[in-house]
Amino acid sequence: MAILEAKGVTRVYETRGVETRALRGVDLAVEAGEFTALAGPSGSGKTTLLNVFGALDEPTEGSVFLDGEDLSSLSPAELAARRLHKLGFIFQAYNLIPVLSARENVEFVMELQGVAPAERRERALAVLAEVGLGELAEKRPTEMSGGQQQRVAVARAIVSRPKVVLADEPTANLDSKTASQLLDLMEQLNRDHGITFLFSTHDPLVIDKARRRVRLHDGRVVSDERA
Amino acid sequence: MPRPALVDATVWRLAWRNVGRHPRRTAIVLVAIAVGIWGVFLTMALNFAMVFQMVETAISTDLGHLQVHAAGFDRSPGLEHRIPDGEAWGERHLDDLPGVRAWAARVRGDGLVYSPRASVGVRVLGVDPERESGVSRVSGSLVEGSYLDGGRGRVLIGEALAKRLSLGLGGKLVLSVQDVDGEMTGEAYRVGGLFRTSWSEIDRGVVFLRLDEGQRLFGLGSAVSELVVVAEERDRVEGLRDTIETRLGDGLEVQTWKELQPLLDYMVSAFDQSAWWVYAAVFIAMAFGIANVLLMAVYERIREIGVIMAVGMRPSRLVAMILAESLLLAAIGLGLGLGAAFATTAALSDGVDLSHFAEGLNAYGIGTRLVPVIRSQDVTTPLAVALVTAVLASLWPALHAVRIRPADAVRRV
Repeated sequence: MAILEAKGVTRVYETRGVETRALRGVDLAVEAGEFTALAGPSGSGKTTLLNVFGALDEPTEGSVFLDGEDLSSLSPAELAARRLHKLGFIFQAYNLIPVLSARENVEFVMELQGVAPAERRERALAVLAEVGLGELAEKRPTEMSGGQQQRVAVARAIVSRPKVVLADEPTANLDSKTASQLLDLMEQLNRDHGITFLFSTHDPLVIDKARRRVRLHDGRVVSDERA
Repeated sequence: MPRPALVDATVWRLAWRNVGRHPRRTAIVLVAIAVGIWGVFLTMALNFAMVFQMVETAISTDLGHLQVHAAGFDRSPGLEHRIPDGEAWGERHLDDLPGVRAWAARVRGDGLVYSPRASVGVRVLGVDPERESGVSRVSGSLVEGSYLDGGRGRVLIGEALAKRLSLGLGGKLVLSVQDVDGEMTGEAYRVGGLFRTSWSEIDRGVVFLRLDEGQRLFGLGSAVSELVVVAEERDRVEGLRDTIETRLGDGLEVQTWKELQPLLDYMVSAFDQSAWWVYAAVFIAMAFGIANVLLMAVYERIREIGVIMAVGMRPSRLVAMILAESLLLAAIGLGLGLGAAFATTAALSDGVDLSHFAEGLNAYGIGTRLVPVIRSQDVTTPLAVALVTAVLASLWPALHAVRIRPADAVRRV
C-alpha cells in the first residue's frame, strides 16, 4: 500500500481575482521506503504537491491519502496530529525556532508528542550525534552555519521516527559540498531506518541521488522514472 | 485526552522565551503597564483615603455606628420624638451587649447662641462627658480649656464658632432654645473649652453641654434624643443592629450610620464603582499596548509560526502560547506597578500634607494629612481586570496566528 497517494489533485490559487492552477489533476503514489525527488522548473507545482502531501495545504479538487487515510476528512487539529506523528519536514530556509537551542529544537516535536523529558533529551542528543552535531547541541540557530542548521532540521524531522520526511528544496541554501554531505546523511537514514523521503527540488545533486524521479511541468506529472 | 493547552509547560517555555526575545520592546510595554498601574493605584489609594476620612469623621464625631431613637425621629428629628429614661434603657440593654464597644446618650436640639458681638444658629448637643468620649473624638480635639468637666454652666464650642462669636475661653454666651413644650427659654454659659476637628460643620455650628444641663434646658426630664452606639467591628454593624432590634421595646427604632446618612454610603459605593471604570480605562490602554506588541511579534514570526504548526502544534496550543505571552507581560507589568505603588504608599505612611487646602477639605470632614488607604480589593480588582485584559488583548493576535496557512508561512521571507 502506498504511504502517500494523490488522486486527481488540483490546486487553484486565487489572488486578486486572478486564478493560478498550481496542480492539474495529479495522480501519484509514493511507496514506503522510497527516496523520491519531485523535480521540475519553478512554478511546476512541486512545492504545492509536497505541501498537499504534508497536510499543510488542501487540494481544491481530488483526494490525498496518508498511510491510507483520506486527509480531506480531518479537522485542523487532527491534521496537526497526523503531521506530528507521521510526518517530518525539512524546509529550504532551515526554519528552526530561534529561541531554542539545537537540542531543544530537536526535542520540540517530541515535547508536542508528550515524550518524557529524560527520554526526549536522550533521543535528541543521539540523533544530533548521528547527524554529526553532538558538540553543538546547546547552541542556538544564530550561532550555527547554514549547513549545521539544516542538519538540525534533519534531526528534528527524523527524531520522532516519522513514516515520511518531506523536504522542500533542502539543499537550495547550501554549498555543493555541504549539500552532498546532507544528502548522504538522508540516504543513510532512508537505508538504515526505512524512512520514506520525498524531495521537491531542482538541484541536480538531489535528482541524481534520488532512486525515483517524478518530473512536473505546469502542474502535471510529465515523467516518472525509477533508477 | 490531551491536557489543556494553557497548562502545557512547552507553551509557557516558548512564551517566556518569546517575551525575552526583544528586551527593549518588552521593557517599553512593561514600563507603560507598570506606570499606569502605579498611577491608578496611588490615585485610588489617596482618593479612598479622602472618602474613608469623610466616613470616619462623620462616624467618630456625630453618627457613631448605630443610633437608637424614638420611632419617627428619622422623619422628624425634634424633641417630640424622645426616649424616656434613655440612659437607664442604655444601661439595661447596651452595657453588656457583646459587640458594643461604647455607647452614649445625647440630647439634640436647635437653638441660637448669642455673644455680646454676634448671634449664630447652632445645634445643641447635651452629652455625658465620660460616655461621649467613648463614641466621639471631639474630646480628643481640644485646643484650649477642658472637656465639660470644668463645672456646671460650661459649654464646649469649636474654635471656628468662638471666632464667629468673637469669644475666647471663659467668654460668656447665652443659649436660646425652644423647649419640649414649645416655649422659648434660654440660659447663660461660659466657654469651658475650645476644640478643632477636621469637620468644619461641627466646628462652626455645634455647642456641647452636659447631658443633665441639656435635659433641663429643653425640659426633657430624664428623656434623651438618641443613644449612639460604637461597635467593636465596623464590618459587623448590621448584625449588631439586628441584635439591638430584638431588644427594642415599642416606640423605639435603631439605624446604622448608612441608614442615617445614605449619602455617605452612596459615596463609598460610588467610589468603588468609579474605581472599576478608572481601572478599565487604564487597562484598555494597556490592552492596546499588549495587543500591539503581540501583533508585531506574530507578524515578525509568521514563518516560525508556520513551522511550529507544520511540525504538529495544535491550533489550541498556538492560541495558548500567544495568550501565555500576553499573561506574562500583564503579570510582570502588574507586579512591577504594584511593587512600586506599595513602596510609594509605604513612603507616604506619614501622610500627604494638604494643609493648603484645609478649608475646602474640612467642609467635607477631610483632614489636612492624607494617608493612602490600601484595601484588599485595590489589589484584587487590578489583578482581575489585568487577567481579563490580557486574555482579550491576545485574542486578536492569536486568531490572526491560527488563520495563517502553514504552507504560506514557512515560505515567508
